Amino acid sequence: MIRFDHVTKTYKAGTVALRDVSLEIGKGEFVFLVGPSGSGKTTMIRLLLREETPDQGRIWVAGREIGRLSSWRIPYLRRNIGCVFQDFRLLPTKTVYENVAFALEVIGRPRHVIQTQVPPVLELVGLAHKRDNLPHELSGGEQQRVAVARAFVNRPLVLLADEPTGNLDPATSQGIMKLLERINRTGTTVVVATHDAGIVDQMRRRVIELHRGELVRDQARGVYGIAT
Amino acid sequence: MAVSVEYVARETAANLWRNRLMTIAAVLTVAVSLSLVGVSLLLRQGVAQATTQWQHGVDVLVFLDPVPQAPTQPTAQQRTVDEQLRQLPYVERCFYRDQAYDYQEAKRLLDPSAASVLSIGTTPASWRCVLSQPAEASALASQFSRYPGVDGVRYPQQAIRTMETVVHVLDAVFLVLAVILLLSAAVLILNTIRLAIFARRREVSVMKLVGATNWFIRIPFMFEGIVQGLAGAVVAVLVTVGLHVLLDHLAGSNIHSLLYEMRTPAGEVAVTAVLVGLIGVVIGAAGSAIGIRRFLDT
Ligand SMILES: Nc1ncnc2c1ncn2[C@@H]1O[C@H](COP(=O)(O)OP(=O)(O)OP(=O)(O)O)[C@@H](O)[C@H]1O
Ligand SMILES: [Mg+2]
Repeated sequence: MIRFDHVTKTYKAGTVALRDVSLEIGKGEFVFLVGPSGSGKTTMIRLLLREETPDQGRIWVAGREIGRLSSWRIPYLRRNIGCVFQDFRLLPTKTVYENVAFALEVIGRPRHVIQTQVPPVLELVGLAHKRDNLPHELSGGEQQRVAVARAFVNRPLVLLADEPTGNLDPATSQGIMKLLERINRTGTTVVVATHDAGIVDQMRRRVIELHRGELVRDQARGVYGIAT
Repeated sequence: MAVSVEYVARETAANLWRNRLMTIAAVLTVAVSLSLVGVSLLLRQGVAQATTQWQHGVDVLVFLDPVPQAPTQPTAQQRTVDEQLRQLPYVERCFYRDQAYDYQEAKRLLDPSAASVLSIGTTPASWRCVLSQPAEASALASQFSRYPGVDGVRYPQQAIRTMETVVHVLDAVFLVLAVILLLSAAVLILNTIRLAIFARRREVSVMKLVGATNWFIRIPFMFEGIVQGLAGAVVAVLVTVGLHVLLDHLAGSNIHSLLYEMRTPAGEVAVTAVLVGLIGVVIGAAGSAIGIRRFLDT
């Protein structure tokens, strides 16, 4: 589903964010991306979204090499990828329902499709009863659930999460991770970049560790840090 | 890809309302500049209209009493008029336009209502004279206007030449002003669009994230610019047409006045209106397209 082939990414300032990274993530896998701050996790996610392009090497998503994608095709790549961020990125003037519906609306889905697809996803994330609330009326955990619903409502092949629990307490974080697991069980490939050792250690999923832009560990049923 | 009309209408209205002051400024600038364009176009048409009958350097028109049979050659009496005209030292040459020709010309120059009472049989034929000293036109007129077989003499050429010069200067001034104002209008529109996008940058970034195409993001903003350009153009068309009606009214039915000669047929006014509208749309679209560009390159 995802493949990095000797990918190097250097930012303008000269920072090497990724150095010769090769890896493969299969369809339906659940993968943690760990590493200290500045190790290149967010860069990997931005490359997958084609917000950045690699300097060397090639990247495939869903069988397509995305480095060669012409710019008008990028939106169609992103329709296959859902993403969730630490800061939720909800629209403050739209209700829960509207935030989720927005993701379908702006890719041109007709209204009846939106009306049938949004409620079950809100049900899935457990927010059906808050559909008409605005984001500021929700807790952080609830806001992140809305973000997950928005990322998933289009049934993407891949779901990327960049520190999805960064702003949440441990109990709420567990709830979000449960949700991501459920989504993963529907066959969606899930990649979670995180600092949250507790969660990684508890879930025992594949762990990919980056250090200063280099891939230093790729371990099935891994833990956050080998030393700890 | 489907961009629903409802979506575009809703987003456009929201943006316009959010930046209403900027919107008003942009619309007014478009209105003023396009009014100048419109008036300038009308002036040009008026001058073209007024000069049609004064081509080939003609300085004086000697209209001859109409003959019901509308002959295509000058009658004996009319030839006498010509001979007398040639006697004058400052008359270079005269040529004949028969009743049929003058009728067609009058139909072209007059209002349909005024033209409808004309017929070939009642339209005067004319001798059209080129003078070596155009200033003598008035002397010729006073001498010949009561001559047997002469219906009347017209010589507004001097005035028309002066007017032409004035109009050409005005034209140039208006054109320069209009171009400057149109450019400022484009910049104002560009700025409103930037403000609109800036106000909604969060939405735009989410739209990109979930895979909205650039066109989908762009269309409501472009539409906003076009609405502004069009609104300004509508005001400008009202001003132009209003001015046209006013001038028409002032010209009244005094067929010897200069304004009367400049009267422009309604059809040409309509063409001017459409042209002004198109310029408005183009300015709006161009301004917004440039305003958006920077936000969409990923
Ligand atoms: N837009 C950018 N321009 C220049 N340098 C950047 C840019 N984005 C990231 N970097 C640098 O690239 C390196 C990797 O950054 P990245 O954001 O991928 O790390 P990260 O693993 O996500 O870190 P964190 O855990 O703190 O989020 C860092 O040294 C960072 O300073
Ligand atoms: Mg990061």
